[in-house]
Amino acid sequence: MKDQEKHAGAVSNLVDQLCRLPGVGRKSAERLAFHLLRVPESEAYALADAIRRIRSDVHYCKACFNLCEDELCSICQDPQRDQTRLCVVEQPRDLMSLEQSQAFSGVYHVLLGRIAPLDGIGPDQLTIEPLVDRVRTGNFVEVIMATNPTVEGDGTALYLSNQLAEYPVQLTRLARGITAGSVLEYANREMIADALTGRQAL
Amino acid sequence: MAAESSVAVVLKTIEFSETSLIVTLFTRDFGQVTAIAKGARRPKSSFEGSLDLLAVCRVVLIRKASDALDLLTEAKLNRRFRGADKSLTRLHGGYYLAEMLRLLTETHDPQPMLYDLTLDALSQIDGTGNAALALLGFDAIALRLLGHTPTTRTCADCGVATQLDRSVPFSPAAGGVVCGSCRISQPSVFIVRPKTLQCLERLLDNQTRLPLATASANKIDANYRDVRVLLNRYIEVILGKTPRMQSFLPARMEPSE
Repeated sequence: MKDQEKHAGAVSNLVDQLCRLPGVGRKSAERLAFHLLRVPESEAYALADAIRRIRSDVHYCKACFNLCEDELCSICQDPQRDQTRLCVVEQPRDLMSLEQSQAFSGVYHVLLGRIAPLDGIGPDQLTIEPLVDRVRTGNFVEVIMATNPTVEGDGTALYLSNQLAEYPVQLTRLARGITAGSVLEYANREMIADALTGRQAL
Repeated sequence: MAAESSVAVVLKTIEFSETSLIVTLFTRDFGQVTAIAKGARRPKSSFEGSLDLLAVCRVVLIRKASDALDLLTEAKLNRRFRGADKSLTRLHGGYYLAEMLRLLTETHDPQPMLYDLTLDALSQIDGTGNAALALLGFDAIALRLLGHTPTTRTCADCGVATQLDRSVPFSPAAGGVVCGSCRISQPSVFIVRPKTLQCLERLLDNQTRLPLATASANKIDANYRDVRVLLNRYIEVILGKTPRMQSFLPARMEPSE
């Protein structure tokens, strides 16, 4: 009986821990816990080891604050990358999305968030100071603000452009407007306004 | 439950699960509403990326009778807030509006006049209007619409008439100016100049829409700082805390950049 209680306690503990993950409710957590009891031990330990490794080995790149296991991430170490163009993103996952597009060959800087005064997040809590240092000491000709196209993302880009205004770099923002493949008839007026504002010479 | 439609301003969004958002809206017909917008972060959702802070949109809601969150089924963007395209002053002004609406209004308590005032203030702030004056006007009119008008001519405690030609004690806790006798029993009283009170009266006077008339704006201009401080302290007492964005408010009423 005591063993059974101990066993139930361990399962219940695992369910509680899994419940704390984003998007995992109690039912899903129970399903995952019982799955881990069913699979071979090695498989369950591999998961535990992967979780342990991600916490002990993964940290932020010293230059760009992307996630990496060495001092510098693979992008910062790559000599083929264009070291004169810097793309500023909010989170490492945004960097991954841009990398998947294969349209950018420069280097990145991850802010690790966006300025959101309503949530108590100010410039000091982001990696803005290292960014300014990087632009001051680097050979960049262009800094691309690739923060999210939201009010807070735009606000962060505006703040950064004020901070970087004194340096001889071109400050640019990601384009926005009508999606390629759609038609003007069904685009809302804000999309059309954005597209017109950001129109390009042919 | 039947779906209901209204126009709304987005006050706050929180990411929820993979693609959903929990959205706090200030609707014209139902007051403040917090609802879940399932799949709102997917690019091809029925929300068309309209659920951004301070965006004005037409929304369709399914209201829940229990404590559960209302369900937002559709949002069509009418107008996006573009303060961040212009200046940090205008952006912070927008943030301040969102915070004040969230703190001052109640859930499911419609305030259509306050909603209309909010749209006026937004168009002043992210347009070419004077952001500092628009925020001052918004605060004063919003306080009046919500029944928090500070007294300016009679003691807020005992009701005796006060003299307008000299500086008078003002007690945010009592709800306005106080007479010499009542002053002693009030906490955190400060002295207000007659001109400051006159400006406050002008702001509170009858209007429910922005921009303020040019004559009022000119009168307020010289006393902006004093009126701003007075309203800030009064609002702090009403809310029981200092709004986060209060320290970002414009210090002067010069034309916003």
